[in-house]
Amino acid sequence: MTTAVQSPRWHRPASAHLRTAAGIAGALVAWELAAVRLDGSFLLAGPVDVLAHIAIHAGLMWRALTVTLWAATLGFVFGNLAAIMLAAVAILVPRLERPIQALALLVFCLPLVATGPILRVLYGPGIGPQVTLAALACYYTTFVPLLVGLRAAPATWFDLVTSYGRGSWARLVHVRAFACMPYLIAGLQIAAPAAFLGAMIGEFTGAERGMGVLAIRAMRGLDVDATWALATIAAAVSIAAYAAIGWAGRRLWPDRPAMILATSPMTGGRRPRSAAVAALATAAVVLVGWQVAMDAAGLNPFFAKRPGDVWDFLVTHAAAAEHRAQLFAALGQTLGYTLPGYLAGLGLGAWLACVFVTWPGVAGTALPLAVALRSIPIVTTAPLIVLALGRGPAGTITIVAVMIFFPTLVACIQGLRQAPGQVLDVFDSYATGRWRTLLLARVPAMLPALFAAARMAVPAAILAVTVAEWLATGTGIGNLMALTASTSNYNMLWSAIVILTLVSFAAHVVVGALERAVLRVYAPEQVAR
Amino acid sequence: MTRLSLSRRRLLQTGGGALGAAAFGLRPGRLAAQTAVNFQLSWLHSVQFGGSYIARDRGYWTDLGLAVALNPGGPNAPVEPPVVAGNAIMGISAADYTAAAVAQGAPFKIIAVAMQKNPFAISSLPDSPVNAPADLEGRSIGMATANTPVLRALCDINGVDFDAIEIVPTQYDAAPLMNGQVDCILSWATDLPVAMIVQGADPIVMLMADHGHSVHSQTYIVTEETLANDRATLVALLRGEVMGWTDYHADTDAAAALTVEMFPDAGLDLETQKLQAARQVPLMFSDLTAKNGFGWFTDDTVAANVETLALLGQTVSPDLWDRSILEEVHGT
Repeated sequence: MTTAVQSPRWHRPASAHLRTAAGIAGALVAWELAAVRLDGSFLLAGPVDVLAHIAIHAGLMWRALTVTLWAATLGFVFGNLAAIMLAAVAILVPRLERPIQALALLVFCLPLVATGPILRVLYGPGIGPQVTLAALACYYTTFVPLLVGLRAAPATWFDLVTSYGRGSWARLVHVRAFACMPYLIAGLQIAAPAAFLGAMIGEFTGAERGMGVLAIRAMRGLDVDATWALATIAAAVSIAAYAAIGWAGRRLWPDRPAMILATSPMTGGRRPRSAAVAALATAAVVLVGWQVAMDAAGLNPFFAKRPGDVWDFLVTHAAAAEHRAQLFAALGQTLGYTLPGYLAGLGLGAWLACVFVTWPGVAGTALPLAVALRSIPIVTTAPLIVLALGRGPAGTITIVAVMIFFPTLVACIQGLRQAPGQVLDVFDSYATGRWRTLLLARVPAMLPALFAAARMAVPAAILAVTVAEWLATGTGIGNLMALTASTSNYNMLWSAIVILTLVSFAAHVVVGALERAVLRVYAPEQVAR
Repeated sequence: MTRLSLSRRRLLQTGGGALGAAAFGLRPGRLAAQTAVNFQLSWLHSVQFGGSYIARDRGYWTDLGLAVALNPGGPNAPVEPPVVAGNAIMGISAADYTAAAVAQGAPFKIIAVAMQKNPFAISSLPDSPVNAPADLEGRSIGMATANTPVLRALCDINGVDFDAIEIVPTQYDAAPLMNGQVDCILSWATDLPVAMIVQGADPIVMLMADHGHSVHSQTYIVTEETLANDRATLVALLRGEVMGWTDYHADTDAAAALTVEMFPDAGLDLETQKLQAARQVPLMFSDLTAKNGFGWFTDDTVAANVETLALLGQTVSPDLWDRSILEEVHGT
């Protein structure tokens, strides 16, 4: 009984498979009907046309898929290796954790519009930029849950290691590495579609072949069948990767999670003074690193601006006030869309996770659809959402919510399953109802994952809104950055990057403060040092 | 470190080329003299660059001692950075883009002009046609907001009330016109209208160049440094380019066929490419080019550009254009 609730997708009866099949069939019919309704609008092709297109152009599609998939796979491997190494170092050397977190966030915040052309100059022709953008798109969503997972071990396990006279390396290898596995799997599942999307957008920097190249061609050519055929393939690949990683994870880590009972940390957090010093030191490292990296790579200051250039543009230049006014007006517009989308996406993800865990039957039908929804490249869904909801705020807000609800959902489902088996057994033996079990046992267990998702979602939301502004609506800071292509105003581009990064940081700090306050009560092992 | 890896890559390319040449038994004498250069295109491979493909396919550049790599562009691939960085010896830009880059401190010169007429056009459908700028009043236009100055300048030149036009930020997409969200769209005459025709529509295409919008497009840009120190390479590169485009003019269908054949993975449709190739001709070839050769420009056409660019808010000196390479190519 407990097992059935505990692990809805592990030992599924035949009826569950039947339900899943029925759900997918229903979705296909709805898709076809929507396409028929929108016939002549050049926005949506139904599954029949999509299949026909794939069949006719099978060779072309296959060649494009192999090119993009290869770049995405390399990016996935490099990005996740980087995430694992960063997380391990952060745990082994606690002093470095904050700087590493800050740098990891910072690099993730760099907008694709800005990094793409620079990567192309650095790499020259080839798949270098595609691989790098795929890696950049996925490392952070692995790094954050991994860091949570590395701490999600009972204190007694650590005590055992200590009683054998072993140190932090042994704790990492023997305890933390096992404790973090479910979190790592969830991170990798989120990373798979992100890497594919990163590789596709990487092709926008000038590629000869690949899914991204075909997507641009199809959209410019009003070839709606081709557009949705490409979107379908991208979604199918992402779903397959998601399922394969999940399957491998269940094979490798089938155990029920252990009970984590940690005492509240004795120390009252870091003193504000040392935190401020750490922040200043990190900022200095970033500024020096930025300057040195640009100089070492020999990048021309025409497009590769240095900290001094941005300072001049925004502060000391004669027209600095004008520059700031333009930048902040665009930023205001962007944030007005980002915040509601962010909250909606988080709320939707957490709510769906609760529904899926409480009613495993629903999960069997709806989870594949959720994965599919997230896997369809934003490039193709954006115009459809804009048609459905208009070019006003609703469209952009929806795009942001769609982009972040999925990572939140995956993280929260995994978090909800972390409710210790013993606790659930107690609830079960008292015949507690589903909702009470959810509220009192599972939701508290989910909180670390939810907050990790909330932190990951900050840069993801900004990425989503700027891509939507760039490709679909032509508003806000995303549009301002894209204008650089015609105006060569790289000072504005780099200033926008700096401001967006600062905003992401500020949002991150706010979420982090909330997180520490809440987790101090519900999951003290996460805040203990 | 990057410099190191760049030179290493170049070394490998050259080495690979030599090995390949040895394997195919090509004459080493000719190959040893070959200079490898990168030519940065402004968009994905398509017949838009048909003349360059002919030059490569028919060995015009090889005969002139050049091994030319044609690097494709894309939606997130501005041409100016690779040219400034020296990754590409020459790039394809447009007079307004180049002028903006120069204002930001890039040392560019325009050495030839492929599109004598600017390709920007306003397309509409027969039930709500826009035949002249005055027809824009009271209509909605779908366009990238980045192009607002272009529309404003068109209104200024033709005495149209700019405020009477409703701008809908659709970015670069023909679907909003096809499904009736807007009355017309602003795009190049050679891409979105062609797609609409292929989809069975009958768009009315009003070329902005016919209404006073004089901005050279598909211009060849190089840095001042290259222009000063690498003239022989530039002359050879442009000479092959001119030969390729002259062949293109003679048979645009062949250019389209070659493009599709050369880039089988680019997802190109032959009929679309043929149509685009034909519609490019009136933009690229004129009495001026018939008399002086492909890529030509004069003090008068430059003056008209400076005037239009001023309306777009850009102060440009005629020195931005440099015809010395072109004069050498055409032997004047």
